[in-house]
Amino acid sequence: MTNDSTRVPDDDSQLVHAYLDGELDPAHAIVVARKIAASPALAAEFEQTRALRQALREHLPPRALPPHLRSRIEAAVGMRRRWTRRSWQALAASIAIAFVLAGGSTWAVLRPAAGDRTATAVLDGHMRGLMAPHPTDINSSERHMVKPWFNGRIPQAPRVVDLAQEGFPLIGARVDVIDNTPVPTLVYGRRLHIISLSAIPDEGSAGGAAARRSINGYNVVSWRENGVSYWAVSDLGIGELETFAQQFRKAPAG
Amino acid sequence: MGVGLSDEENRKQFAGIVVPHLSEAFAVASWLTGNRTDAEDVVQEACLRAFRAIGSFAGANARAWVLTIVRHTAYSWLAKNRPSEIVAVEDFLGEERLTEQCIGGWSATVTSTPETALLAKLDVRRLEAAIAALPLAFREVLILRDLQGLEYREIAEVTTLPVGTVMSRLARARRRIIGAVRTTDA
Repeated sequence: MTNDSTRVPDDDSQLVHAYLDGELDPAHAIVVARKIAASPALAAEFEQTRALRQALREHLPPRALPPHLRSRIEAAVGMRRRWTRRSWQALAASIAIAFVLAGGSTWAVLRPAAGDRTATAVLDGHMRGLMAPHPTDINSSERHMVKPWFNGRIPQAPRVVDLAQEGFPLIGARVDVIDNTPVPTLVYGRRLHIISLSAIPDEGSAGGAAARRSINGYNVVSWRENGVSYWAVSDLGIGELETFAQQFRKAPAG
Repeated sequence: MGVGLSDEENRKQFAGIVVPHLSEAFAVASWLTGNRTDAEDVVQEACLRAFRAIGSFAGANARAWVLTIVRHTAYSWLAKNRPSEIVAVEDFLGEERLTEQCIGGWSATVTSTPETALLAKLDVRRLEAAIAALPLAFREVLILRDLQGLEYREIAEVTTLPVGTVMSRLARARRRIIGAVRTTDA
């Protein structure tokens, strides 16, 4: 503990950082909070560091993975990133032969269920967004700007909610084309990660629990609600993406 | 290749363990090397290393494991291509004490408001320049914590530093950036 308010022992100063980062156990956190309250110098360090952390989180443009690098890496280890249309056709032809030869279960593996096709299409939209200079067609964190933007572009504007408080700030929106239909996609952020949330009209479907998939390292969480099927895609961990889905579902409609 | 695994199994492991963290691997490599082109080389090399070692992944924290390999690869790359970047940390500490004396440490007379406001509407390019100017040993800790959001013990795992060192380097890195912003502004 120091009473010298102009020079601060290095240890105390470091503890301020650990305190800000939530790395202290509760007992130490209380001690450090008291020291900050008692020392203007520590308080200054606390405030400035907090501002810096925020600036780093919010203002630095993400270093987005170039799509060709992903393909190159997956090719290098003998994986394919995603099936292109052409490779599907080639594969279908070769599998037809294999099917005749081997018979049986191969088709079950190959033919994707409708949900998987949608998931892949939604992922395509997400990837296109990441490749473009901006992942959005409209940049706005204001849901009252985003919602009207969809008018005239798609038949029905989606539900737009503000999740900044929950740590998923709204970044903007774009229109994706899925199964030849323009579909509204909201774009949210999480640290430097991007979440695309597409809302696809799906009449006649009841609400339901969220389903999760993993496609080429991207996580996809989907659920249905009020005649809309929602698809959230991100490179975030599945846990955080499911948290996002829960927050979106329970937020009041906007 | 992995221990006793077929190529197919290795690929499956790779898809589950490494691929989900490629974006983050690239971001870290970009900040460590300072540009995208070099980062691509580093990430690709790191991925090949990870693929070869995939059988040895113990299953605790895939993200930390991947970032450890990326960091290691970036260091090898820098040692080969830009050896001047790899400098013993001790060399910075003396210089730092000097700097701190010059700017007066955390003087209480410098009240929080002006700088807080300054940082909040900080020019992005200036912020990026300040990060790029950090010595590697400080930059990596700052990136892992403030940009990638790793916890101290994850950073310790990735950098093979004691947690206490992570903490002190992080504090120093942040102070340097705040100091740089302040100096450039003056």
